[in-house]
This record gives sequence, C-alpha cells and structure tokens, in this order.
Amino acid sequence: MDKNFLQSSLKDSLFTGLIALALFGPIVGLRTVAVNEALVVQPKWLVVALIVAFCAIGRFFINIYSFKKEQRRGEPSSLGKAISNFLDTKGSQIALGAIIFSVIFPFMPFADRYWMDIAIMMMTYIMLGWGLNIVIGLAGLLDLGYVAFYAVGAYSYALFAIHFGWSFWICLPLAGLFAGMFGILLGFPVLRLRGDYLAIVTLAFGEMIRILLLNWYTLTKGPDGLTGIPRPSFFGLPFKRYPDEGVETFHTFFGLEYSPMQRIIFLYYLILVLALITNFFTIKIRRLPVGRAWEALREDEIACKSLGVNPRNTKLTAFAVGAMFGGFAGSFFATRQAFISPESFTFIESAIIVAIVVLGGMGSQTGVVLSTIFLIGLIEVFRDFESYRMVAFGGAMVLIMIFRPKGILAKRKPTITMVKEK
Amino acid sequence: MEYFLQQLINGLTLGSVYGLIAIGYTMVYGIIGMINFAHGDIFMVGAFVALISFILFALTAISLPIVLILVLLISMVFTACYGWTVEKLAYKPLRKSFRLAPLISALGMSIVLQNYVQAAQGARIKTLQPVIQGGFNFFKESEFVVTLSYLQIFIVLVTIFLMAIFTLLITRTALGRAQRACEQDRTMTALMGINVDRTISMTFIIGSSLASVAGMMFVMYYGVIDFYIGFLAGIKAFTAAVLGGIGSIPGAMLGGLLIGLIETFWSGYISIEYKDIAAFSTLVIVLIFFPTGFLGKPDIEKV
Amino acid sequence: MSEKLLSVENLTMKFGGLIAIDDLSFSAMKDQITSIIGPNGAGKTTVFNCLTGFYKASSGSMFLNKDNKTLDLKKFSDFKVAQKAGVARTFQNIRLFPQMSVLENMMVAQHNKLMAASGFSLLGLINAPSFLRKEKEAKEISKYWLDIINLTNRADDNAGDLPYGDQRKLEIVRAMCIEPYLLCLDEPAAGLNAKESAELNKLLKFIQKEKKTGILLIEHDMSVVMGISDHVVVLNYGKKIFEGTAQETKKSPEVIEAYLGTEE
Repeated sequence: MDKNFLQSSLKDSLFTGLIALALFGPIVGLRTVAVNEALVVQPKWLVVALIVAFCAIGRFFINIYSFKKEQRRGEPSSLGKAISNFLDTKGSQIALGAIIFSVIFPFMPFADRYWMDIAIMMMTYIMLGWGLNIVIGLAGLLDLGYVAFYAVGAYSYALFAIHFGWSFWICLPLAGLFAGMFGILLGFPVLRLRGDYLAIVTLAFGEMIRILLLNWYTLTKGPDGLTGIPRPSFFGLPFKRYPDEGVETFHTFFGLEYSPMQRIIFLYYLILVLALITNFFTIKIRRLPVGRAWEALREDEIACKSLGVNPRNTKLTAFAVGAMFGGFAGSFFATRQAFISPESFTFIESAIIVAIVVLGGMGSQTGVVLSTIFLIGLIEVFRDFESYRMVAFGGAMVLIMIFRPKGILAKRKPTITMVKEK
Repeated sequence: MEYFLQQLINGLTLGSVYGLIAIGYTMVYGIIGMINFAHGDIFMVGAFVALISFILFALTAISLPIVLILVLLISMVFTACYGWTVEKLAYKPLRKSFRLAPLISALGMSIVLQNYVQAAQGARIKTLQPVIQGGFNFFKESEFVVTLSYLQIFIVLVTIFLMAIFTLLITRTALGRAQRACEQDRTMTALMGINVDRTISMTFIIGSSLASVAGMMFVMYYGVIDFYIGFLAGIKAFTAAVLGGIGSIPGAMLGGLLIGLIETFWSGYISIEYKDIAAFSTLVIVLIFFPTGFLGKPDIEKV
Repeated sequence: MSEKLLSVENLTMKFGGLIAIDDLSFSAMKDQITSIIGPNGAGKTTVFNCLTGFYKASSGSMFLNKDNKTLDLKKFSDFKVAQKAGVARTFQNIRLFPQMSVLENMMVAQHNKLMAASGFSLLGLINAPSFLRKEKEAKEISKYWLDIINLTNRADDNAGDLPYGDQRKLEIVRAMCIEPYLLCLDEPAAGLNAKESAELNKLLKFIQKEKKTGILLIEHDMSVVMGISDHVVVLNYGKKIFEGTAQETKKSPEVIEAYLGTEE
C-alpha cells in the first residue's frame, strides 16, 4: 500500500465524514421537541459525532478493503452462487424438506404462541409474494398497489361474512373472485403503460382504495374498521371454550382438552394450504401457453405482437390471477384478525411484498420464501427498536439491489425442454 | 365570485410548491429516464431542515428578511447533500442494471428516509409559529373577504425568481448544456469529454435544493409537518411533472400550478375528504389519455 | 404467372411534416420472393411497420389475398395482423426472447393455437389429454424447424446465448411457426458472413418453394437480393423509383443513380 493511496483514502474518508455531518447534523443533532406547545431544539451532538466518526472510519476501511480486493480480483463473489447452485441441484429435495418442515412445525417443542404467530405472518407474506410473483416476476409488470387487492379481498370477505353470515369456504372463493374482477377492472385501462408509469399508477390506485375505505363510512366504518368478523371453524366445528347451548366444538368433537392453540394451529394449516395452492398453481400455469406468454411479454412486447400474442389480454390475466391470490390472502387475514381497518393496507405493505418478490429473484418461487424469511425476520429482529426496523428494512432493500440486483436466486428454468429433464 | 378568487390565490400558492418539487422529478427523469421515488422524501427532509433553522433563528435577534434568506440557503445546502447521497447510493451503482433495480433501491431509500426522520425527530406532528403574518384584504364590504397574505406573495415571488435563475442555468451555462447532452445520449456525451457522473450528480443536487425550497414554503404555509408529508406531496408533484410533460421544466411548473388549482378547487367546491382522490385520479387520467402532457415530446415507439 | 398475394396501393406515411413513404404502390406474388431495396432512410422499414400494423398509414390501402378472400390490412392492429391475417415479420435488430430457451421461443410463436387448445388454461391446468396432444404437436413442429436450421441440439439453451447468425435464423423460423401467408423479413442477412448468408438463401428458397409462403424482403446485401429475388422494388426518399426483375434492376439507370449519385 503506497503513500499516495493512503493519502487519497484519508481525504476520501474526511469527505465522507463531512457529508455525514451535513446529513445527520441537523436531522439527528437537532431534535425538535414540543415544550409547552412550542417547539424547542434539543441538541444531540454526541450521537452525531459518533455517527460521523463511524462513517468516516468505515469509509476508510472500505477503501483499504477494496484496494486489497483489487489486487486479488477474479474471484467471483461466491456465496450467492453457491446458494443458487445448491438450490439448483437439490431443488426438489429442499422444497420437499421445507414442506415437511412446515407441516410438522406446529408440533415442534419451541413452537409456542409467539413462533406460531410469526410463522402465520410469514406464510401470509409468502403467499402474497407468490401471488405478486405472477404479476412482477413472470409478466414483468411492476405493481406497487398490490395491497389494494389484499384489501378488497379482506373487506369483501368481512362484508360477506358479517352481513350474509356465509361460511368461510363460501366467502373465500367469492372474495378471491371479487379481487380478481377488481384486478381486471383496474388493469384494463392501465396495462398499456410503460414500466415506471404503470408502477406509479398502480401505487395511486392502491392509495385511492385506501382513501375510499377510510371515507365510505356507511360500508366500511371508515377508520374504525370492521369488527366481529366470524372466526373460521373446522368444517363447521367452532374453536370456542364455552360454546352456545347444543353446539359441538372442535375440542369436544375430538375429545380434546380445550386450548387456544388449537385455533392458531388450524389457522396455520389453513394459510399453509392456501400458500401451497398458490405455489403449485403458479408452477403449473407457468408451463402453460399463457404463462409462457407472460414471460415472453416481459422479455419483448413488440416481438410478442409480431407473433400474434394479444398483449393486453395476456397482461390482464396475469393481473387478475395475481389479484385473485391477493384476495384469498386478504380473506385469510380478515378471518385471522377478526378485525380489519384501512390502516392494515398502507403503501408500505405493497412495498414489502414487492421487495420480497424482487429480492427473491424475479419469478423464483424459492426466492420468495428465502427473502420473506430474511426480510420479515429482519423486521421481527428489530421489533424492539420500533422506529429503526423500517430503516433497516429499507436499507436492506437498497443493499441487496446493489450487491445482487437480480435478486437472491436469479436463475430461471425453461418451462419446456426438448431433452428429458436432466 | 369572491370565494372563487380566494381559491384561485390559494391554488396558485400551493401550485408553486408542487411546481418546485416537480422540477426535480422532471430533471431526473430527463437525464436518467427514471422516476426518483425518494424525491418526495427529500422534500420532506427539506421541510424539516427549514423548520429546525427557523426555530434556531427565532432565538436570535436577526431581522426577518435575513432570516428568510439564511433559512433558504441552509435548507438548500443540507438537503442537496441528501439528494447527492441518494444518487450515489441508490442510482449510481445500478445504472447499468435492469430497469426495475434502481426503482426498487430508490423505493428502499424512500422508506429509509421516512423512518430515519421519524426515528430522529419523532413521529408527532411539528408546528411552526407563523413567520410572516398579515396581508392584503379585498372586497372588505362583501360577505366573503378575500385575503392575499404577504406569505403567499413571498412564496410566489421566490418561485418565480428561482424559476428564472434556473431557466438561465439550463439554457445558458455549460452545466445546462452538459445536462441536455446527457439526456440525448450519455455514452456520446462521455466520449466528448464531459463528466457524466458529475452532471447526473448536479441534476440531483439542483432538484433536491429546489425541493427543499418547496419544503420551506410548505412548513411556512401550513405551519404543520410530519415525516410522512413527502409521500403525498411527491405523488402530486409527480402528477404535475407528467401533466406538464415529463422532461420539460416549464411544463413541470405549469403542471404544478394546475395540480395546485385542481386540488384547491376540488376541496373548495366538491369534497375535502376526497381531495387526495382528485390528485390521484388526475394522475391516472393524465397517464392513460395524455401521457406526453402539455409540453412533453411525443414518444414514438421505435420498432 | 402466379397469384397476387399482397397489393399495396398509394400508401403514404407522414410523421409530422416528414413524408416517409410517398404514394407507394407495388404488389407481391404468392410463392415469390419480393425484395424492397433502397438507400438508408428510403422508408423500407416504415413500409413493414405499416403492413404489420405497428404504424397507422396516413393514407392508401394494403390488401392481402388469403384463401381467395381479400383482407384489408389497415383494419388489423398490431398483434391481429399476425393472429388473423397471417402476416409474420422479423426485425432489423433481432427481437428474440433472450432469457427464454430456443424451444420456448418457438412455442410462444404457436401461442394462439395452444391457448385455444388449453381451453384458456382450464384444460391445461388439469392436464387434459387433448391439450397435451396439441402441446406435443407444437413441440414436433418446433423440432421440424429447428432441424432445418440445425439448432435442435441447442433447443434448451437460452436464445440470447446463441451466436448472432443462429439468432437471425431462429427469428425467421420462429416467425414461420405462426404459419404465415406472408413473411416480412427486415434485413435478415445483416451481419452475416458469406457462408451464413448462403445458408440463409437456402432457407428462404426452402420456405418459398416448399411452404408456398410469399416473402417480402428488405435487404442491403446484394448477393442475397440478386440471388433469390423474383421481383425487386426500389425505393428512394419514400418513392418507388423502379420495379422489375433482379436482372432488370441491376441495369436500371435510376437505381444506379440512387445508389451511386449522378456524374456532375
């Protein structure tokens, strides 16, 4: 390492420190606090000093590190490759193992209420990710308003169940169909827009739905939300400790001791089945003509037109199918929470689902699982640092894009092969 | 009639703010062909920097005009650093990547900025005492008194002033020339010996400092901000940029004014709860039926 | 004399003030190769874009004779030209689906047929035998064409990984998968070496003779044009300046002037 290099990297770190000072000085260093209804400024210079020092020193070490790396260039960054190679060769065994693991998960000794809740939440996100993967990963349509379909599913489920008293197994498909129709309705005018315009328009649609839910008080009860959504029952057997007179419950029917965990476990299996249906459906439809056309449209729309593929209808089916699965997931969410309000359907939810799909590797079903575990896990780990968890989440999005712009698993398998599968 | 006039004044003021933010969108789109998803949050940071500076200067005895100029400059400088950093972290490493990648990283950046400001400054809304008070009243004898406040005059004047400087910058200086060249063909521009990286950085810096001015106006006009204002303002300003024709700077200003007017008239005459719906539907309608906007170039599909 | 396949009458295309095609009329015969040549910017690709529905012609008409019916091509928008009228095309700067395999590219070209067979995916989802049979047929057709261009052994590789010459040929046979009546090729020989363009000639001759498909060809490579064209249309500044056989074209003073300029 020569002197010039040291000098220049010192200069560089000083510059970084200066920028960090400008960035964090006012916002972190001068916290505004309301005292007697007037804002005063509370200086926090120590924190700023620490951050600035950290940035400058960190930059210095990065410089030295990348200098060393320059000297031994040629070694490809290995970890990601190793993972994807491993998953490529052992793909089916791993998938089978993962399914078995998720089936026996509730009976693991550590699977208490907390773990089950996290598992259910992750499964919901995995299902949403798989649903959105059809739209973004296969058809290449960046949909930033996916949460709208989740919301439509949840609200239509809740309204059907509350007002008509229909059972879960009737409301679920209805809610899914409703969300799918909604997808067609929204998709029809916007699907000819270019990528980033489509992103903004879907984002706007998502927000419009939320504002509508907030203000249409007679139907949605606005910000108060809908309460008393019927809990799901096990094919007619409710999960209740003290059932109404003459009603058989799950635990009495099977002669079990009542435990609130029974309902949680049932919900877990419910979402597991729904998610797996989504997964197998996607795997199957990808190999059908329509699935291939989705991917072809993502690759080159003009070439598709020249081959007689109808771009609008093809995109619409992707949008509708994705929306339908969003609606299914929304129904599950409604029945699990027994309470929904517009607050659960903000833009950040859409962003999380998009992040799951893109970070997993566009179109990769396994990638969705991995990135859900990583991202939702990250948010969970930072649970105690309430306000920092989303900072960490956003930061992870940026970092993964920089270091692995194609996502964790980027490799794509052909949908049909000439030679029998190797 | 009086009510209409009042809405017109309010709309033009609000439109100036949106126009200033929209310029940032339009410039970045012009030069790298992408939406800067974090731009709305940069505006929010600008508003916070302005708020903090106002509070600090309130403790001193500096006279108001000088305070205004100082706050303006301070927020421009500090916020420009944010714009610069966003470009360096979220856009530059991904310039040659596939199209969705920078969109995602910018989205991540936007989430980071929002939550970082929330963490550092708290989630509660911040209020600022009025800095400029008073104004002219018209139609004093009628039922509805129309007010044109000094603050509104200040906002519009500063916007016009910045627009003028800025138009000169783009049309007359070497930087502006480099920027326009980069819009046409980045590789060729680099071959002509122009530092493309620096030109793109400058674009983000200029866009961010204008957004920070908008932030300062916002905090002075409404007196209330929180960490979330960037999201809505960002979407509205983006609508303005598209409406005016994305890539066109006068278009951005024009679009800003239109969006400001649409929003105030909608809330004044139709429904205040659904005022954001007005902005969103304008966006959707414009993009679907009118994607080149008023002053944009037509976009012919090359086969 | 064979039947008329395509007749273009008084076709004009304006972009703002620029007249890209000016009152162009020509026709192409069934099972013949018709070449459109002309200097750069003469409006050749624009003719294709009008024919295949990517641009809407300012005025004039285009008719296609398909099974003794006359179709007005102006009535078909982009994808319908391929789907309903049976006009296929390739592009100047190859447009394959680069991240999809060679075989998948061929299958996408048979989309409409397979889509109908899959019962809008419902029959496909349940693996209905009728669909599986159709899918197998489509695969066979793909194999037939890939055998012709010697790419069967690379069928499972990504199309984007093929060498340039193979990509050109793949794009042509992919277009053939829609079983077109008229095949429009936009500079298929661009960037090919002598051996590859000889192979291309063979392929085009095969399509013309065996498949009875009319070919409309834009080309700069005179060895291809002169070697295989039955009929040549010469454009300059959007106007037709000459029409005739390859031999006649070679000798025409107007054509020589357009390409080489006049002697002062």
